[in-house]
Amino acid sequence: MVKKSRISPIFKRAVSHIFTKPATTKYPFVKPILPEDARCKTVYEIKSCNVIDIGTGLKDGPTVDVRSIVGSNCRVCVRDCPAAAIEIVEVEGKKRPQIRFDKCIFCHQCVESCPRGAITSSIFYELATTDKCALIQKPNPNTKETKSQ
Amino acid sequence: MIDFTLIFRILVFPGFTFILLLTLFCDWIERKIEARIQNRVGPMVAGPAGILQPLADFIKLLTKEDITPRDAKKTIFKFAPLVAFTIMVFAFCFLPIDGTSVFSTSGFSGDLIVILAFATVANFLLFLAGWASCNPYGTIGSARVLTQFLGYDIPLFLIALTPAFIAGSVQIASIASLQAGTFLPFIVLAPWAFVLFVITMQAELEKDPFDVPHSESELVGGLETEFTGAKLAFLHLTRDVQVVFGSALVVELFLGGPYGPVFFGPSWIWYTLWFVLKVIAVVLISEYITTVVARFRIDQVLSGNWRILLPAALLSLMLTVALVTWVYPLVI
Amino acid sequence: MSNNKIDILNVVATKLGTKVQIQPGHLSTGTIIANNGLHRDVLKTMIDADEKTGITAITGLDLGANLGVYYHIHATNAFVTIKTEVPKENPKIQTIVDIHPGSLFHELEVADLLGVIFEGNPTSGHFVLSENWPEGIYPLRKDVKANQVKLVPTPASEKIKLPENERLVKIIIGPQHPALLEPEKFAVTVDGEIVTKVEPRIGYVHRGIEKATESRTYLQDVYLVERICGICNSIHACAFVEAVEKVGKIEIPPRAKYLRVIALELNRLHSHLLTLGHAGLEIGYETLFQYFWRDREPIMDLIELTSGNRVYSSLMTVGGVRRDIKESDIPTIKSVLEDLRGKLPFYRQIYENEPTLKLRMKNVGVLKREDALKLSVVGPVARGSGVDIDVRKDEPYEAYGEIPFKEIVYTEGDTWARMNVRMDEVEESINIIKYAIDHMPTGPFRIDVARSVPAGEAVNRVEAPRGELFYYVRSNGTDMPDRVKVRTPTFANIPSFLKTAIGESIADVPANFVSLDPCFSCTDR
Repeated sequence: MVKKSRISPIFKRAVSHIFTKPATTKYPFVKPILPEDARCKTVYEIKSCNVIDIGTGLKDGPTVDVRSIVGSNCRVCVRDCPAAAIEIVEVEGKKRPQIRFDKCIFCHQCVESCPRGAITSSIFYELATTDKCALIQKPNPNTKETKSQ
Repeated sequence: MIDFTLIFRILVFPGFTFILLLTLFCDWIERKIEARIQNRVGPMVAGPAGILQPLADFIKLLTKEDITPRDAKKTIFKFAPLVAFTIMVFAFCFLPIDGTSVFSTSGFSGDLIVILAFATVANFLLFLAGWASCNPYGTIGSARVLTQFLGYDIPLFLIALTPAFIAGSVQIASIASLQAGTFLPFIVLAPWAFVLFVITMQAELEKDPFDVPHSESELVGGLETEFTGAKLAFLHLTRDVQVVFGSALVVELFLGGPYGPVFFGPSWIWYTLWFVLKVIAVVLISEYITTVVARFRIDQVLSGNWRILLPAALLSLMLTVALVTWVYPLVI
Repeated sequence: MSNNKIDILNVVATKLGTKVQIQPGHLSTGTIIANNGLHRDVLKTMIDADEKTGITAITGLDLGANLGVYYHIHATNAFVTIKTEVPKENPKIQTIVDIHPGSLFHELEVADLLGVIFEGNPTSGHFVLSENWPEGIYPLRKDVKANQVKLVPTPASEKIKLPENERLVKIIIGPQHPALLEPEKFAVTVDGEIVTKVEPRIGYVHRGIEKATESRTYLQDVYLVERICGICNSIHACAFVEAVEKVGKIEIPPRAKYLRVIALELNRLHSHLLTLGHAGLEIGYETLFQYFWRDREPIMDLIELTSGNRVYSSLMTVGGVRRDIKESDIPTIKSVLEDLRGKLPFYRQIYENEPTLKLRMKNVGVLKREDALKLSVVGPVARGSGVDIDVRKDEPYEAYGEIPFKEIVYTEGDTWARMNVRMDEVEESINIIKYAIDHMPTGPFRIDVARSVPAGEAVNRVEAPRGELFYYVRSNGTDMPDRVKVRTPTFANIPSFLKTAIGESIADVPANFVSLDPCFSCTDR
């Protein structure tokens, strides 16, 4: 028995592995399921209505839903963002935050800092596009309909 | 008089096209087996189960830019990969694949030594290719290739003579057909020689654990550093043909060549089938050894050759001669 | 291992008396203010009293009219800071390289970034900054704005000093090389196949993070500091946050301490499995590499489950942690960890019995115990050479004082021993995480803190996967730090590589190098 334990176990394991299922997840044919609080793209509520498509080419893809009660002058998200990815732009006379996903580091500090919960998180992670402008999230100008939510 | 049968045999079957297809197929098997041992999927997208992946890699390399460095020795640099590939395929043509060799003959006495010499020349051309590229990594890499294959050629020749002693001739076709005639492949008569031959073949083909010329951690690309485009495609193809050639040699010398039971119909179909199956079996063994071990250092490779393998080869030869002269005539 | 507690401050006070000023209790064990070259005497006294004395870091800072040079010294059961100041117009100070060779890198860095001239230190040239940085501009001084510096053209060709003896060949490994994950340059002089000298050049990944922390708030700095290294990200954030909490005298709730321990140990598991796999790749053992990385994937899924991201967990914040562990996740965590524990005997048997692996790893890169002590190496490199230092045991932080675990020490000192240290630490980390989950106190996991931190300074040491990580944070009362100094473990371990590579074959250099687990992003910051 002593002699048997001096042989490296990899010889037998290698043969047995030929007949076992591989450990690979065959992405993109099989997509992994992420936990629901994974830190992916922010400010996206995929199932929310009254949102505009920003042009990533996906039909029910990511969109912006900024509630009308956002106090655009508190600017806490702009102040706290470590990557300086949020800036306030003027949309239809109102000032709203615009998030640039080419600068964002997905730390979700803005989700924590916003005192009114206007920025929420989602689990959408397939952000690769060929057009850099598609990564700049312009806020939704239609704030009236969302007031009721 | 143009002999269409001969041209067909050289170009299509069992000549150039067949050898190329067998090479690509064995490359796919190697990659799949290595991947499965490592618990992952191998190629899986190009063609069903990824079987067209080696062909796709070859075609991709052909479309890349072909650069020749300014200081390289142009003639050797440009033509060495292609010439090495041609010599390897030519050496392959002497092996009996479907009962007879590609040239429809059963070879000539001494052709075992000739094709081993061809393989050495092809390896030497690869060394020259790396040397001519005038890159420090290429120079060191090709020097290591030279040291390794020249060193291991000596035990290779010695061990390859073992079946020749048992069969009593230096003609590959006779060695192979003798095993079919007596139904005793030489792996049974001289198993020590089989093991040593497989190990020496690993070193000749520069596979793990004798992988030093390829070790990226030290040498970037070894002798392939400066090659791009079509030249790199042919270098890789030459390596793959060498692997299949080595396996085919093992099959001819120890496993009975293409000869095996014929059940119905023309015999050459069955001979080709047995040949392919046996080559795949040897490729599997070789790839298994490659995957489960680490890589030796260059000084360990060289000391292993001169201190262990060469005395072992001599001992094996002496043992075989003794057995053939005194024991086997009594038993068989 | 000395059992008697030597009171280092008393020893210094007895020997040097009134010539230096001693402040016990400030900055960990105590601070000694010693000007006019007395720092050499203080250090000599300490080394004579305790053989385990070594230098952790040298912080250089801009104090206005003077430049401060702080020596942070570690000894058995003590951590002392020696503060000295030199005027800006004449920033000369005596070197300590002759007393303690392990301080060479630290002095070179302070000289490069702040312009302090160490008399007696013969090395010259840039150490961390690039060749096209203008002379005379020192980035860490307060009056230099980093984005207004004009770079000079790169010198045409590098002056490579060829070895005097013609038989010696100089091989340059790096900056781009398949053996190295990140760019650094090592000029290796070989005689045939034996290495005779190694000259490093670091600084290719220098991003100026220490300067960048001074223009961001503490809240933003947590994320910046986390990105010094990709593999040991949690531990950098934790060390910074703890130092800030020490400055602001903030006490975090007990549940937050246990949650931090879980996050740190998951990080350690991830890092060790990565290194073990990478070592296999360097010696040509691709199968082992694939097996280890396959077993690393469930750990990354666990990190994603607990923190939201597979690599950058971003769990630390000043005042606690950002998230709690859900009750429903705990069975998943435990089952993944038990799976990993079940796979370890297989790997241990490979390390014991596989002949090719032992040929490549045994007796390669041997570091003797005396050299390890003299060069102040840290982490698994030290523990593989018989030096039993582990910050989690010597100076417990977070909840480590309450969690029982073993300290792993091997005495062979070669590559094989260091890899075994890491493998055994994987098992210990699994034990720690399970203990922490089972004994987690209830309560809040975060308290609210003000954005600005009162003035003060603090040091903090934690045990990163690669060794001891050191942070010094100085605050001036606003919400941006005044100075943040980071000393990473690889910075302390590279001098040991310069010693162990000599006398061995050049073919052993990759295996030797990967065994000290280099992380150049950490080294260069």
